[in-house]
Amino acid sequence: MIYNYETLPDNDNLNNYSYCLNVVNQMIITKGKMIAYYGMLRFEAIGVNLLDLIVQESLNTPRYGNNFVVVTGQGKLVLGDRACEIASYDLEDAHLTVKASRVLAFSPSLICQESTLAGYLTFLGTGQLIASSNGPVVFLEAPAKVDPDAILGWADLPSPSYHYDYEYIKDVFSAVGSLAGLKKSGEERQLNFTGKGTILIQSSEQ
Amino acid sequence: MPTYSLVNYKMLAIALAKEEIFAKRGSMICYTGKINFTRSYLAGGGVQNLAMREVTNEELIVMRARGTGKICYGYDGKYVTIIPLRGEMLYIETDSVLAYDSRLQTGTIFQGNQGGVQGIIKGVASGQGLFTTTFSGSGEVAIISQGDAIALEVTQKEPIFVDPNAYLGHKGMLTTQFVTDVNWKTLIGQTSGESYQFKFTGQGTVYIQAYEREKKP
Repeated sequence: MIYNYETLPDNDNLNNYSYCLNVVNQMIITKGKMIAYYGMLRFEAIGVNLLDLIVQESLNTPRYGNNFVVVTGQGKLVLGDRACEIASYDLEDAHLTVKASRVLAFSPSLICQESTLAGYLTFLGTGQLIASSNGPVVFLEAPAKVDPDAILGWADLPSPSYHYDYEYIKDVFSAVGSLAGLKKSGEERQLNFTGKGTILIQSSEQ
Repeated sequence: MPTYSLVNYKMLAIALAKEEIFAKRGSMICYTGKINFTRSYLAGGGVQNLAMREVTNEELIVMRARGTGKICYGYDGKYVTIIPLRGEMLYIETDSVLAYDSRLQTGTIFQGNQGGVQGIIKGVASGQGLFTTTFSGSGEVAIISQGDAIALEVTQKEPIFVDPNAYLGHKGMLTTQFVTDVNWKTLIGQTSGESYQFKFTGQGTVYIQAYEREKKP
């Protein structure tokens, strides 16, 4: 199958690992995730120009501002991320938090803010969000405990807290533990989600 | 004539009848029938081609399989794509070549020849070296990619822009242009992240993968 401008899907997955975005107005994408495009598109860093009027409401993230580029113009844009699975989320009046390194693109109608948990971005409002994951995304209803490496994000839930296994805590407190070094299984720390909402999990760690 | 088919999206099968085929070293998975495998130094090309490879370090290490039977190939869990050639020239990253046979002429091309200085920048920016393997004639080439290889058509009317790190190869009558989007913001570290792009114009097909090669340090 050879694609051209007409046969490329309209805002849909090209295959599991790439997504074709039909850009009509503006879109905010993560740097370096463009793999190809047809048409007249411009990639602008977020700095001092008129474009900032579009994103001033949308981007509320001083720490991550440099990760994003604004795409303007008209054309079809193919996104890819290290051969990871890509999915698009149509958000409506949403409150979704996603691992920052997994965000590929979002529409400027969404408000993007930093989560209180470092390394995560929270999206508020209505619009489109495109994110990658290692393996297909699995949806889980809270309450649940999740490995921090495997988490992709969570929706309509309060920020999680850390839960440690008792064995680990015992080691930390005991003198023997500190002398012999901590026995870490790599599974002793989990993100603890409480309340009502949905958790997004990757099928593999990291 | 060797026949190429896909067992699944990551495995290639080639049927041989007293014929020979060249395939990436270490990619043979299994075979039936009576087939001999030898290291092929010439890789289906001439002595001059071999000399070129030695000089350019663009190593195409292939095994030659000869005989009658069926061989299955796969490599590193990567996706396999069969590209048919009907008299066109295919330019492909040497690392991405899985299998081909002697119906096709192979060569190594200096990318710098294609676009002068721009060609050199292209090689440096994409971290792929300055040389590319070429195939011409009529037949098939099997290539490997991270995730499915995506084929995109280029026409006179519709040029395409591609990220150099995601580029696999191209075929047909295409002109490559190296486009930079460097402005004053680049100097203060405010790059758009998509500053280097390949622009393909003409008539043909470009192959890309949804994976961005890390630049060599």
